[in-house]
Amino acid sequence: MWAKLALKLFSREFKRGELTVISAAIALAVLTVLTLSMVTDRIGQSIAQKSSAFIAADRVLASNHQLPTEYLQKAQEQSLRTAKITYFDTMLFAGDEMQLGSVKAVSDSYPLKGELKVKTRLTSDAIVTDEVPKTGEVWLSESVFYALNIQVGSQVELGAATFTASRVVAEEPDAPFNVFSSSQRILINERDIDATQVIQPGSRVFYRQLYAGEQSDLDTFYAWLKPQMKENQQWYGVKDRQSPIANSLNRAESFLLLAGLLGIILAAVAIAVSAKRYCERQYDPVAMMKTLGGSRATIRKIYLLHLSLVCTMSVILGLVIGYSLQMIASDYLAQSMGTELPSASAKPWLIAVSTGVICAVMFSIKPLLDLFDIPPLRVLRRNLGDRLLVSKIHLAMSALTVFLLMWLFSNNIKITAILFTSTAFLIVVLFGLSKLIFGGGRKLGLSPGNSWSLAIASIQKRANVNAVQLISFALAIKLLLFLIVLKNDMISDWQSQLPADAPNSFLVNITEAELEPITSFLAERDMPTSDFYPIVRGRVNAVNGELVAREVSLEDNEKKDEEARSGIGRELNLTWRAELPKQNELIDGTWFTENSVAEASLEESMLARLDVELGDTLTFLIGAQSFDAKITSVRKVNWNTLKPNFFIILSPDVLQSFPATYISSVRVNKDQKREFSELLRQYPTVNAIDVESFIKQIRSTIEQVSLAIGFVLAIVVACGALVLISQVQASLGERMQEIVILRTLGAKGRLIKNATLYEFLLLGFTAGLVAAVVSDVALLIVQKQMFELAGKLHPHIWLIGPAAGGLFVACLGYLMIARTMRKNTQGLLRSLG
Amino acid sequence: MSALSQLNIIQVNGLTKTVTTVEGDLTILSDISFNVKSGDSVAVVGTSGSGKSTLLSLLAGLDQSTSGSIHLDGAALHDLDEEARAALRADKVGFVFQSFMLVQSLTALENVMLPAELAGSKNAKQQALELLEKVGLSHRVGHYPSQLSGGEQQRVAIARAFIGTPKILFADEPSANLDSKNGRLIESLLFELNKEHGTTLILVTHDEQLAEKCQQILHIEAGQLVTVKESEEVQANVG
Repeated sequence: MWAKLALKLFSREFKRGELTVISAAIALAVLTVLTLSMVTDRIGQSIAQKSSAFIAADRVLASNHQLPTEYLQKAQEQSLRTAKITYFDTMLFAGDEMQLGSVKAVSDSYPLKGELKVKTRLTSDAIVTDEVPKTGEVWLSESVFYALNIQVGSQVELGAATFTASRVVAEEPDAPFNVFSSSQRILINERDIDATQVIQPGSRVFYRQLYAGEQSDLDTFYAWLKPQMKENQQWYGVKDRQSPIANSLNRAESFLLLAGLLGIILAAVAIAVSAKRYCERQYDPVAMMKTLGGSRATIRKIYLLHLSLVCTMSVILGLVIGYSLQMIASDYLAQSMGTELPSASAKPWLIAVSTGVICAVMFSIKPLLDLFDIPPLRVLRRNLGDRLLVSKIHLAMSALTVFLLMWLFSNNIKITAILFTSTAFLIVVLFGLSKLIFGGGRKLGLSPGNSWSLAIASIQKRANVNAVQLISFALAIKLLLFLIVLKNDMISDWQSQLPADAPNSFLVNITEAELEPITSFLAERDMPTSDFYPIVRGRVNAVNGELVAREVSLEDNEKKDEEARSGIGRELNLTWRAELPKQNELIDGTWFTENSVAEASLEESMLARLDVELGDTLTFLIGAQSFDAKITSVRKVNWNTLKPNFFIILSPDVLQSFPATYISSVRVNKDQKREFSELLRQYPTVNAIDVESFIKQIRSTIEQVSLAIGFVLAIVVACGALVLISQVQASLGERMQEIVILRTLGAKGRLIKNATLYEFLLLGFTAGLVAAVVSDVALLIVQKQMFELAGKLHPHIWLIGPAAGGLFVACLGYLMIARTMRKNTQGLLRSLG
Repeated sequence: MSALSQLNIIQVNGLTKTVTTVEGDLTILSDISFNVKSGDSVAVVGTSGSGKSTLLSLLAGLDQSTSGSIHLDGAALHDLDEEARAALRADKVGFVFQSFMLVQSLTALENVMLPAELAGSKNAKQQALELLEKVGLSHRVGHYPSQLSGGEQQRVAIARAFIGTPKILFADEPSANLDSKNGRLIESLLFELNKEHGTTLILVTHDEQLAEKCQQILHIEAGQLVTVKESEEVQANVG
């Protein structure tokens, strides 16, 4: 019987709109979390896949010694796909011509991730192929064809074997964005290695085993592999921190994560406020039901059923809308990015449902307990139960809930702790501040009957309620300002990296003699270039006199394994320069002076990877010559710029005697392409690497990610608006009573409306001002800590915050009160019950 | 229990209610004793703040006394916990309040059915419709409280009070919020249904004329029962 009554009451309350705000709040929490989690999950997977293409696999096992084949067998047993690559350098001959090239011998299954692009003729377009060279075939990069003066179909000799040059290698997925290494590629089938007889004891050979498959299978395999790995073996994964795309997407992921966390906080506040309001509106019916003999158990069952129903309906609604929104957003993103986003995992569903249910239960439980405790005597003493005490335990439980939800969502305790603590701190400060504002200044000498006087009196009278309102308003405004400014900063930072005149071609292999005429050629034709950097290929051979035993020290920690970058021990591009490059920032030590002798400047990650520090001496080996250089400075390099960057820069004195080639990047507009081709014809040994498509890809990605961020921001803004609406609505009951009294006493509608407008204006202005200050400070920290952006203050939000806060809150309050004011006094009395 | 006490549906002995305030203990009712016979109508009168409503809340089991005893139809109310008092109210008590206290989200009919539904009754609708017809609101059964006038809302409240055929009906200033015409109508209805159902009526009122219509008048001043007298009308009838 109670269930029938409960359902009847529920449907009526729903129709009356009593449950709309709480339901919307729960649904919004669920849809925010689901949409953000899913989009983030799918973008995250897409990033991983894109990054995987950079190494042609999900994981790579690398060594300069032969790798056991049993590793591959074991991996295949665990449903992983595998491939093999062997790298070595050798001379390639065609008639009288010869060329040193980098041989890459691959197994048939190469590449596991990404696409290999080839051309069937030197002049044809590149096409994607799922094949690798057959036995007896060799695929060469275009520059090798030119260097050997051969065509597709010509015969070339590689060691003891003869091959047919059957394809032009246009693009290798695992050739990282490295303008130095892509020019002399020789691709053969691994079965031909023996026939070449090139690999002899003592040969410098690099072996790679590629693995791809499900994360869980990879983890299982690595757990098996790890104990067996030798010191010369290195296991690494997909992260490519130098890719501007990956960097942009990683940042976007951080933003989405942050937005999601803030969305959860806002939705939690909205649920808490609306649940409290709903329960307060049920005080009278509950007191009445108790008076009429309703037992506590019956009332408990009725309202718990209400909570369950509203929770279930809202969660389902949130899931449906959230899923649809993320489908639209993901489809649009996928379409625009020209890629397919992988399906989301089950995790977002789980997080979204738990967020909705946990939020609904945790933030309704205290108001519900208060509701169950409403004494029946309230039917005679109408204000009984109005001032129930705030439970410290409940506050602590609610805070813990929000913290756990944020942690569950972000899976990052550090970010959760920073955000949670700063928000908690903000609330405490605001509470103190509001007490000061609303408690003090009671002696403002405004004349009675004046709207401002009435507004201030009203604010002071409801000091406690207003303190809570101020906190909610400020919290919502703070989080919105925070996200909007962060989004703008992030996007303008991306755009500044890729200005319209960003270089779109790299020129490499420029000789000393070609330097002056090429520079003049480009300058005369108005093609802006970056600086020209000399390059000498060399190795770091020893640190403080001790030989570097292996490429990279093996770390037990997989993360470090992933971050470890090959390059140490093998040839590096060394440059020298008197001035610090523009896109570099000196973070330790001092830059070279005119008197610097044998000094080296290292990029920060290189310092860590070589396990060296400022003051250490590195021994470099260039050909047969070696020399020492002392590390005198450490640089932070912005790898996102499309300009030449170097791990090691040496002082000009040490390298100037070595023969060098030069590199630069240049901006070539469409109408300049013909002239640019003319330049390349004049200097056939100079290689031009067109990165236009790469830039386009970055631009398009950034644009689409910006759109995704805008979309996410809109959801969070909706959460913020809901907090404001629920807060205004929560105070409507008391306001209506006041309006009735004032109207009955003959107050003009204009006076009441203006008083309300001013009251909300003052509240919104104060909240906006505090929010602007706090969010600017928080932005300063988060931009540096999470987004690697230059932290800066934003004075404009100090004006926008209070103005927008005052305006928005005032309009909202005014609109809601205006609706009430349309009723006549008798109507108001009736609606008060 | 004696035959005399069985006739007394309400027995109050030494009832005291004290509340603690910031200024110390405040006695609202002090040593109140009286009996009410089954089927009688009793008016509780007194000035504002004299303790009339507190007495009503104690008699109805909405609040607990500090000391003394209340027996309601044989049940020792002062010994019962909140749940047992609620069960007793569901079984034996009806209410009419000054501010109507209708559930805003329920229609007139549903409001009348509410006590029966809370008690688990399955045939409440017919009885509720009959009662609404008796109070002259058969044409307003589907209306919500906000769509009814004050007088109509109070008539719904009266119908609700009688749905479980309570033995005792407590009415707190039932006509105070109404104009005189509607007030008189409500009062007539109360007495009429009271007689019809043989219900005991406990009526808190300021209205001397209304009090005179009751068989017994309890005069409370400053928390003490000053006089207990039979009304003039009753005396006249007896005389």
